[in-house]
Order: sequence, then structure tokens, then C-alpha cells
Amino acid sequence: MKVKFRIRRFNPEVDKKPYWGEYTLDNVEPTDRILELLHRVKWEQDGTLTLRRSCAHGVCGSDAVRINGVNKLACKVLVKTLDLKDGGQVQVEPILGLPVVKDLVVDFEPFFDHYRAVMPYFMPATPRPGDGRERRQSPEDRARFDDTTKCILCACCTTSCPSFWASGEYVGPAAIVNAHRFIFDSRDGATQERLNILSEESGVWRCRTIFNCTPACPREIEVTRAIGEVKLAIQRNGR
Amino acid sequence: MATLVTTITETLRYKGKLGQWSWVLHRVSGLGVLLFLVLHVIDTSWAAFYPSLYAKAIAEYQSPIFTLGEFALTAAVVYHALNGLRIVIFDFRPEWWHLQQKAAMIVLASTIVLLIPIFGLMFGHVLDYYDTNPDFVTISEIIKTQAQFLLGFVVILAAALLLSLVYALVTGETRNPAKPNRRPSQFDAWMWRFMRLSGVLIVPLVFGHLLMIHLIQGVFDITTVGHTVVGTDLVNDSGRAVEFVGRRWDYLVAGIAIWRIYDGALLALVVIHGFNGLRYVVNDYAHDRVIKRALNWAIAFGAAALIILGFAALLAGVDETAYSIAKDSLETFSQRPTTPFGG
Repeated sequence: MKVKFRIRRFNPEVDKKPYWGEYTLDNVEPTDRILELLHRVKWEQDGTLTLRRSCAHGVCGSDAVRINGVNKLACKVLVKTLDLKDGGQVQVEPILGLPVVKDLVVDFEPFFDHYRAVMPYFMPATPRPGDGRERRQSPEDRARFDDTTKCILCACCTTSCPSFWASGEYVGPAAIVNAHRFIFDSRDGATQERLNILSEESGVWRCRTIFNCTPACPREIEVTRAIGEVKLAIQRNGR
Repeated sequence: MATLVTTITETLRYKGKLGQWSWVLHRVSGLGVLLFLVLHVIDTSWAAFYPSLYAKAIAEYQSPIFTLGEFALTAAVVYHALNGLRIVIFDFRPEWWHLQQKAAMIVLASTIVLLIPIFGLMFGHVLDYYDTNPDFVTISEIIKTQAQFLLGFVVILAAALLLSLVYALVTGETRNPAKPNRRPSQFDAWMWRFMRLSGVLIVPLVFGHLLMIHLIQGVFDITTVGHTVVGTDLVNDSGRAVEFVGRRWDYLVAGIAIWRIYDGALLALVVIHGFNGLRYVVNDYAHDRVIKRALNWAIAFGAAALIILGFAALLAGVDETAYSIAKDSLETFSQRPTTPFGG
């Protein structure tokens, strides 16, 4: 089948404003992924098209883009899931809220700043066990934060959030998800510090339960739920 | 402010699901209700302090343009109330998140189902009133009055901006966006709780208020001679709006002025809830330090002023002299004949 690609282009060294580039691809299979087709545009039609990808298999989280109006990983979207007719259109643009470096590539630094702000690393509550082995945890305690261990930091959720579009100060869903992973880990000792960080002005209170983040997650993390649990944890802390 | 434009255009462009549109409707309906609330508290206080102005305000509320507004207001209140309950439920039961889309549908459907009989009853009052061939306040008259409110808002905003600018000059700060406050915001945590608690408390109060003032009787019956004042067994002898308010506030059950307490509770909860909602909107989109501080000051001032004004009116009440002042003034506004069901 034939598919028309409408891609948001911007080269800050040449262009004053972003514009839409249009490319038509023939012989597209329903099982083709959008990432492959973006490659075809780059390789067959316009070598200047810039995009980011690494593993190309939904694990590294580097090819988050907005496809037909929704944030997705280009490597995880098959043409047949887009309900296209022959000659149908696929619109691809960079995720919103982070500075565009070129075409589909955005600067993740502000996103990682928010991630680092929640101290996304293990801070043990207890000294290392005497036998030198792991800190043990019951299956129930492990299950408490299982969902939020799945994050690959692709920024699909954070850049789908109107609160983040409104203010880049907001730590955003991804940072809260990664804080959740440690806040609800029974072995971690820095719960209070993380809750304090997330109850700052730029923290969880900026979430308006819009629910754009949850369907945006390519790992099917229950993002809004995780944010809600962090809010309740702060509230129950007697503040 | 630039991010306000981005957010509006991108919200339209992003294919968010019902949750996103619920949020849009919640904000728009909230801001709409707040605008009316401000006008309503100010002019109701006139019943106590400027009876003649109050009569004029009610005459304007009975004009077609405000009747349209009344329908929109009712729709906004009903939607905001039901969607607010949805938000509260999922805030306290985040593990039910997978039901939120369905809940948003239920909110929309229930809003429509509730509005059908509500609009029916309201429309009945409109038809009854139009049967009496009333004289309406002219549009130009309405614009003249409402322009004064607009001017008031502009003056308050300008004063806040000026003060904020003076503050910036005195403290020597730059106009860059403020650095995020790096301390836990107990205020935000507290307001989060207050918004949910007040929201739930407001729902029965505001629905009761709607029921009494817009459904059981219409805004038009406020000026019906000999009409029994809703929620009381007292009769509005003069058919003046001030007497309606005065009778209602003076109605005692076991020595307690129940409608003053009711109105006072509604006033305090709704004003704080509404202005804090406005604060959320402002803090989302205002990034310039001076402007953000000015808007926050204006909001704090507005909320405090409305609560003080409203409670002053509730405490002062409306006395018999006010009834006669209202009666003597504004004879140009038609006095309604007694309707068959009045008194």
C-alpha cells in the first residue's frame, strides 16, 4: 500500500520556523513499523531527515515521537494499527515540551534534570546484611512497586501532559513514576526525602489527573495511578 | 503566557482521550462559574448596602441575555460538580484508574440527563414571565452596568501589577521566571485537601441553592408581589428583590436564621474553592515573576474582599427601610402583577 508521511521538520541552522515535509512511500506493508518507514524516508528520499533511535525494539526508549497526534515509540507502532486506507497519511512530529534540536530529535536534558531531582537510586534503610548477601524482601513488598520498575525514560508520558506543556518546571509523570519505584520499596530509606521533593511547588500537585500520560506509556505503566499513590503518600504523612 | 497559547493549541492537536476533554471542560466551567460568583456576591451585598442598586441588578438578571447566561451557568455548575466528584474518587482510589474513562462518560451522560428536567423547569419560569409582557432592561443599560465590573477588575489588576512592580524594584529582583521553590509546599498539600473536601461539601449546598432559586421558583419570582419566598413561609409583600432577600435571611427555624448560615457556608466554601482554582490556572500559565505575583495578589485580595463583603451583608441583613427605599427607587422597572400561584 501507499502511505503519505507528513513530518515536522526543523533545522535551526537554516530554518526560521518549523515546517511540514511531505513524503510518499510505496510498497508499505501493514506489518511495517513507523521507525522502518522513517528510515525509508531518510534513506530513499531525504538524507537530511534527523531522528533518534538505538535498539529499535522498544527497550531503549530513544525514538519517542508524536504519531498521528499521540505520543508513541516509532519502533513499537505497526502501520496496521493506525487504521490507514491506501494512500492514508501518517503525521510524525517531535514530542512537545522539550527543545527541538533538529527535526524529530529533542533535547532530553531538562527531562533528565527532573529525573535526577527525585534521587532515582537506592538509598538503603538498613546496613548491608552481615552475610554480605542481598536485602530480602517479601514477594508482596516487591509487587508493591513492580509496575514502576518498567520505565525506560522515553518521555512519552511527560511530554503528553498539558501541565508539563504549561510549565517545564513541573517534574512530570516520568520523574514521579521513578520516585514511586523507590518510595514504595520497603528496603529504601529515603522515602521522606523523596516525598518532600515531590511536594514542592513543581511536584505532584501540578498533576490535574488529565490521564494523557497513562495511554501514552509504551510500557503500559499505570502512570496516573502511580502519581495518585504518591499524592496520597504525601497526604498521609501528616502534612 | 506563551505557554497558555501552546497548551490551548496543543490540547486541540493532541489526540488525548476523554480525560483530557474532561479537564478542559472542568477548567472552562469552573472559570465561568467563578465569574458569575464574583458578580453575584457583589450585587447580593447591595441588597443590604445599596437596595436601589440591587433592584437594578435583579432587573438585569431578568433580561433575556442573562436568562441565556443562567442556562449556561446551570450547565457549568452541574458539569463541574459531577466531574469534580469523579476527580475526587480517582484521587482517593488511584487503583481504579482503568474506570476513569467510563466515569467521564457517566459524568457527561448524567450532566445531560440532569439538565433536561432542569432546563425544562427553568424554561417554564421563562415562559410564565414572558406571558406577563414584562419590560426588559435594555442591552445598552446592561453593558453600562457590566462595564463597571470590568473596569473594577481592570483597576484591581492594574493596582496589583503596579504593586508587584514596585516590589520588584524595591527588592531589586529580575523579571526572569522565579526559581522553583525548593521547599515542600505545605500550602499546596493543604489546598489539595481543601479543594476535594470543599468540593464535596459544595455539591449538596449548590444543588440546593439551584433548586430553590432557579427551579422551584425562577429568578423572575424574586420580584413577584405576594409571592411566598422560597424556603420560608414569609410573603414578599412589596414584590421587591430586596424584600425577598431580607425575608429569606430573617426566616428563623427554632430561633436560627437557617438561610443566613446556609448562604454563609456556601459563600466561604465556594469563594475559596473558586479563587484557588483560578490560582491553579494562573500558576500554570503565568511565568513572569512580576505578573505571576501580581495575579496571585489580585486573587488573594479578591477572595478576601468577597468573603468580607458577603459576610458583612449577611450580618447586616436587609431591614424594612431598605424595602421602602427599593420601592421608591427605580419606578421605571416594571412591577410584576400578582400571578395566580403567588402567595
